[in-house]
Amino acid sequence: MIWQFDIILLTLIVLCALFTISIKDLLGAAIMFGAYSFLMCLLWTEMGAVDVAFTEASVGAGVSTILFLAIVHRSTRRVKVRQRGRIFYKGLGLTASLMMGGLLFYASSDFPAWGDPLAPASNHVSPYYLLHTLADTAVPNVVTSVLADYRGFDTMFETSVILTAGLAVLIVLRLDGSRTGGPVRKMARPIAKGYEDTIIRFISRAMAPFLQLFALYVLAHGHHSPGGGFQGGVILGATFILLAISYDLQLVVQTFTEKTALILANIGLLIYSGTGALCLLLGHNFLDYAALAKIIPGATTVTARSDGIMMVEIGVALAVMSIIVIIYTNLVSDGTYEKGL
Amino acid sequence: MTALIARLLMVAGLFFFFATTIGILRFPDFYSRMHAAGKGDTLSSLLLLSGLALVNLAGAPLTFDNILVSLKIMAILVFIFLASPTATHAIIDAGYASGIEPWQKPGTSKEGDDDLAV
Repeated sequence: MIWQFDIILLTLIVLCALFTISIKDLLGAAIMFGAYSFLMCLLWTEMGAVDVAFTEASVGAGVSTILFLAIVHRSTRRVKVRQRGRIFYKGLGLTASLMMGGLLFYASSDFPAWGDPLAPASNHVSPYYLLHTLADTAVPNVVTSVLADYRGFDTMFETSVILTAGLAVLIVLRLDGSRTGGPVRKMARPIAKGYEDTIIRFISRAMAPFLQLFALYVLAHGHHSPGGGFQGGVILGATFILLAISYDLQLVVQTFTEKTALILANIGLLIYSGTGALCLLLGHNFLDYAALAKIIPGATTVTARSDGIMMVEIGVALAVMSIIVIIYTNLVSDGTYEKGL
Repeated sequence: MTALIARLLMVAGLFFFFATTIGILRFPDFYSRMHAAGKGDTLSSLLLLSGLALVNLAGAPLTFDNILVSLKIMAILVFIFLASPTATHAIIDAGYASGIEPWQKPGTSKEGDDDLAV
């Protein structure tokens, strides 16, 4: 921690947050929110939480900004200013946020100091993880082993939350013509030639495979370095968004169809819960990967836990990738898959 | 020696970042500001990253791990070299498509032919 750097970061974060909520242009607010996320990412790095920073950079600064842009593109850029009762509502909002902020400030005085070795969290749980991770799971990155092994249940339900979010977007937005009374649209449409830019298209096309390779590296190397299923899945999904923006939405919709995406998302969650159920079948607890040593050739109970983490990370990456593509394609086209950004 | 080169590279990178900032603030219109942002940002990032890759090697034993870290930094460098100018191009293209007029020195003709302007 370099305190000068921290103060600069915190000032910029507060400024970004204030701009984000006060700007009238929603496009500008989305961009400011991206900057805010990126500064948060720097702050996490500064505090040593590199995995969280990676997630913030890929999800917060990367994909959510694009999703916000898609929403702004499909709705409106300007905030409607309410004229009547403006003072009253503003006063109400100010009072509520002041009370909430005061409450949070009051509660923060009870928190232990940052990195306090006597804090309750650092007393029994964290030391156990830090001391036993390598011996228990053969995974050097403690975050990965906590995320997918010690706290495997949490991550499984996080993945199902992501799947549910994708399904909710699909239910709310998806229009296939049958609901609007119009004719059911054919999926096969030619890729639009309206906006062609050789430079952008070539660079995106040339970079996409390398980005996907990097995503696989992040996914597979999560045992040893920051990264894992969530970040890898988000980067994989982002490559499809890149192609959808630089080419045409049809390219992505036709090659990575809704059906494929939904099947992959469900398979991803199935891999996760199936790994847990497999452990159950082999006579251990749910998600106790040590059981996998009985079926993986040449694995001890320790390396089997590492392999189990790898399996569930692959499931997470599949689910996250497909859900991000589904959310983006639906948001950007109003659920019709006709025309994107 | 390596450390010295690395420091020179990083100082040059910071100088170009500074020049980029001045350019963004002082240039008159969208296109020239993007010109400063795109070119200066790319060059200074390249200089800074190559400086960082060298700092990582300077004074440390040439083990596989150290070289791997430097190679990863070089991979980021290649990515920025491709992506940053493309992003600048895309932004300028979008500005042109939405009809932003390029700035002209007051008093010159609209066509931009300075010799013929009275």
